Amino acid sequence: MDGETIVRVENLVKDFRPGFGLRKKRVLHGISFEVRRGEIFGFIGPNGAGKTTTLKVLMGLIRATSGRAELLGHDVGESAYRRQIGFAPESPYFYDFLTGREILTFYARLCDVEPARIGARVEEVLAQVGLSDAGGARLRTYSKGMLQRIAIAQAIVHDPSVLFLDEPMSGLDPVGRKEIRDLIVRLNADGKTVFMNTHILSDVELICDRVAIIVAGRMAYEGALAAFDGDRKLYDLTLASLPADFAEEIEAQLGVALGGRGERVTLRLGEKELNELLQAALARGARVEELVRHREHLESLFLRAVEAQRQERRS
Amino acid sequence: MNALLAIAGNTVRDAVRNRVLYILVFFALVMIGTSVVLASLSYVERERILQDVGFSAIRLFGATIAIFMGVGLIHREVERRTIYTILSKPVTRATFLAGKYLGLVATLWLQLAIMVAAFVAVSLAAGAPLHPGHFVALALVAVELAVVVAFATLFSSFATPFLAACYSAGLYLVGHLTRDLRAIGATSDSHAVQQATLWIHRLFPDLSALNRGLEAVHDLPIPPAEVGFALLMGVAWSLGFLLVAVVVFERRDFR
Repeated sequence: MDGETIVRVENLVKDFRPGFGLRKKRVLHGISFEVRRGEIFGFIGPNGAGKTTTLKVLMGLIRATSGRAELLGHDVGESAYRRQIGFAPESPYFYDFLTGREILTFYARLCDVEPARIGARVEEVLAQVGLSDAGGARLRTYSKGMLQRIAIAQAIVHDPSVLFLDEPMSGLDPVGRKEIRDLIVRLNADGKTVFMNTHILSDVELICDRVAIIVAGRMAYEGALAAFDGDRKLYDLTLASLPADFAEEIEAQLGVALGGRGERVTLRLGEKELNELLQAALARGARVEELVRHREHLESLFLRAVEAQRQERRS
Repeated sequence: MNALLAIAGNTVRDAVRNRVLYILVFFALVMIGTSVVLASLSYVERERILQDVGFSAIRLFGATIAIFMGVGLIHREVERRTIYTILSKPVTRATFLAGKYLGLVATLWLQLAIMVAAFVAVSLAAGAPLHPGHFVALALVAVELAVVVAFATLFSSFATPFLAACYSAGLYLVGHLTRDLRAIGATSDSHAVQQATLWIHRLFPDLSALNRGLEAVHDLPIPPAEVGFALLMGVAWSLGFLLVAVVVFERRDFR
């Protein structure tokens, strides 16, 4: 391991047999990606893309057909190193006859937390996820948002360095989503690397450092959110009160047809064209209404990736 | 070790919440109590009839509860997806399985203790004599329950509760018949029948070796060597079933 790579997945393939005697179905087609220490990594994809399957391979719940998957330099089939990781599954279910405190005590014991420290640690974690007051109530009385928080609490009760969260915001109302999002950011600020499976792109845009997009069991993108635009910076410039002759000049220069004369027009320009046009526009009496850096939204990248995969499969 | 005890303890807590379990224990207690009525219908050997019925009730209900609880032991964890968070911790699948098994055996032994207490109370109330043979036979019932839970756990590790219950009930019956089957086969003129019945007896657990109720009730001696052998056999079969269960469980995908 190079010291910075926490999760390394190489050419991971997973086949499932839908039923006895039936043909195998390939759900992961040799995917590869890496997660680095200290980042919040968003693993995104449409429903059925293979996100949860990948996560289950990483958690040792299902075995890969071929390829490699390593966590902290260990093969995912090992179990001793799991003291350093925490996992909160999607739509978690716990022993609902236990209270919040009891379930966290149970998980702390599974992780070999020192018995003398368990009580204090459980209280600390309950406070961290905002459930101190509800810690004595049975889990069957918990709301979905509270269960989601208990899921994260059990994932951090042994103070792991890496967290795996499967759809942590799914099914929550906007307030609940924000609370969980804030909690993830706080945990990351405390030094935990976070791997997050989700299809809620707005949450990913808000908190993730890097993302990987998986579509139909194949990797479609992996990289930093900031890298979407590529090396070339683009700007959206909105001008108003354009003199007619200047509008024609712009049309000739940029090879575009402007909608009207004297009305508002918006142009997408590179840095060099922007400087030139801006100086010219001001000199000719046009009014600059708005100038913003153009950013590609994750959604458009995501949709493009999905479409590209579909076309590839058709051809 | 911590994880093993935590899983076993939690299994006991989960099991004692099951209402069906209480109903079965209640019926077992009713049956033990009814043995007084049944014994009173006879003019001879009332005490033996009383203890025979009580003993049978303990074994029958014990095995029923063991199968009923054992077949859902792993399946329930997978269905409810509680297994996801447990196996993502530093807990091997073998530890998980062993913890579940030990927890259920502890629960069954607790229930067995309640049934034994009822049996002793009824025997004392009816003036039926109690001697060490009774307790040796009851200890062997405890071992038999551990074997039944082991094969129910094995079936639970790969089959649905219904199928696991069918397999377990079938194996329980076969386990009680292999010794008689071997004895019948030995009287056959056919070498093939002799060999077949011999191998059936060897391949399946001989649960009748753990049934010493008849000797206990009739105050017949139970040779310590046979008790020791039955104990060893029970432990060996339990470990054997659990080992196979671990191998099956290790290969399973939790989708």
